[in-house]
Amino acid sequence: MTIRPFLISIAGALLVAMIAFIGGTYSGGPMAAQMDRVAQAVVAKSGGAPIKARFTTRGGWPTRHPLLSGGEDVDEATRAKVAEAVASIPGVGGVSWADGSMVAESNVVPLTPMHCQEDVEALLQARTVRFEESSSAIDASSQELLDEVAAALRPCLGSIIAITGHTDSSGPEPGNLALSQLRALAVERALIDRGIPNDGLRARGMGSRVQVEGLLPTDPANRRIEFSVIATVPLAPTPVDTPGPR
Amino acid sequence: MPIWFELMILLLITYGVGIGIGWLLWGRGIVDDEGFEA
Repeated sequence: MTIRPFLISIAGALLVAMIAFIGGTYSGGPMAAQMDRVAQAVVAKSGGAPIKARFTTRGGWPTRHPLLSGGEDVDEATRAKVAEAVASIPGVGGVSWADGSMVAESNVVPLTPMHCQEDVEALLQARTVRFEESSSAIDASSQELLDEVAAALRPCLGSIIAITGHTDSSGPEPGNLALSQLRALAVERALIDRGIPNDGLRARGMGSRVQVEGLLPTDPANRRIEFSVIATVPLAPTPVDTPGPR
Repeated sequence: MPIWFELMILLLITYGVGIGIGWLLWGRGIVDDEGFEA
C-alpha cells in the first residue's frame, strides 16, 4: 500500500477540523447568546434572581456549559432548583458553580461520638464488681451493676470491648494472674448473658501488674475490673442503603 | 469546552467512522495499480 491514501486521509481530517472550527466559531456565538437569554428568564422564574449564568469559557469562547455564579445568600434548595432549570434548557450541557461546589444539606443526623467507655468508667468510679473471696464467682450485689454496665456498653456494639481483671499484690503472682483472668472471663460471661455479643468482648487478666495510681500495691482497691473500647469497627452500608445505578 | 471544539471532535469521529466503513466496503479489495508496471 502506498503512502498516498494515508496522506489523503490526514488531509481530509485536517479539512474536517478546519470546517468544524469555522462553523463552530460562526454559529457558536449566536447559539450561546440564545441559551443565555433563555437561562436568564429561567433563573428569574425559579426565584434565583442574583444568580448569573455565563455561557463563555475562561478564554472567551462561547460554550454550551454554563458557569453559574452569585446567589451566595440564596438557600440551597433554590440554588438546586435554578441549576436544574438551567440544565433542562435544550442544548445546554453540564452546569457548574463558580464556587466549585454545591453545598447540600443532608437530613442525616450528625454523628456524635460514642461515650460508652466514659459511661462505664463513670459507673465504676463509685462502685466496683465484687467477687467472692479468692474466687471468680461474681457477688450477688454486683448483678445490678453489671446490668447497668451492659446497658452502657450496648451503644458500642460493633466495637471490640476489652475486659481486664486486676488484683492487688497479696499472694503469689501466678495465682493473681490466673484469678484475674478467671474474674475477667466471669464478667465476660455475665455480659454475654445480658445480650452483649461474644465476638465483641475480649477478656484478659493482668494479675497485680497494673496498680491504681496513688495506691499501695496491697490496697484491696487494686482488685478491679476495667472496661475499654479497643477498636471501633466502621459501619459499612447495607445493600439497601447503597443507591442503585441511575 | 468551547462549542467549536465539541463540533470538531464530533465531526472528526464521524469522519473516522466514515473512512473506516469506506475502507471495509471498498478499500480491502482494491488492486494497487500504481505498483504494476507493464
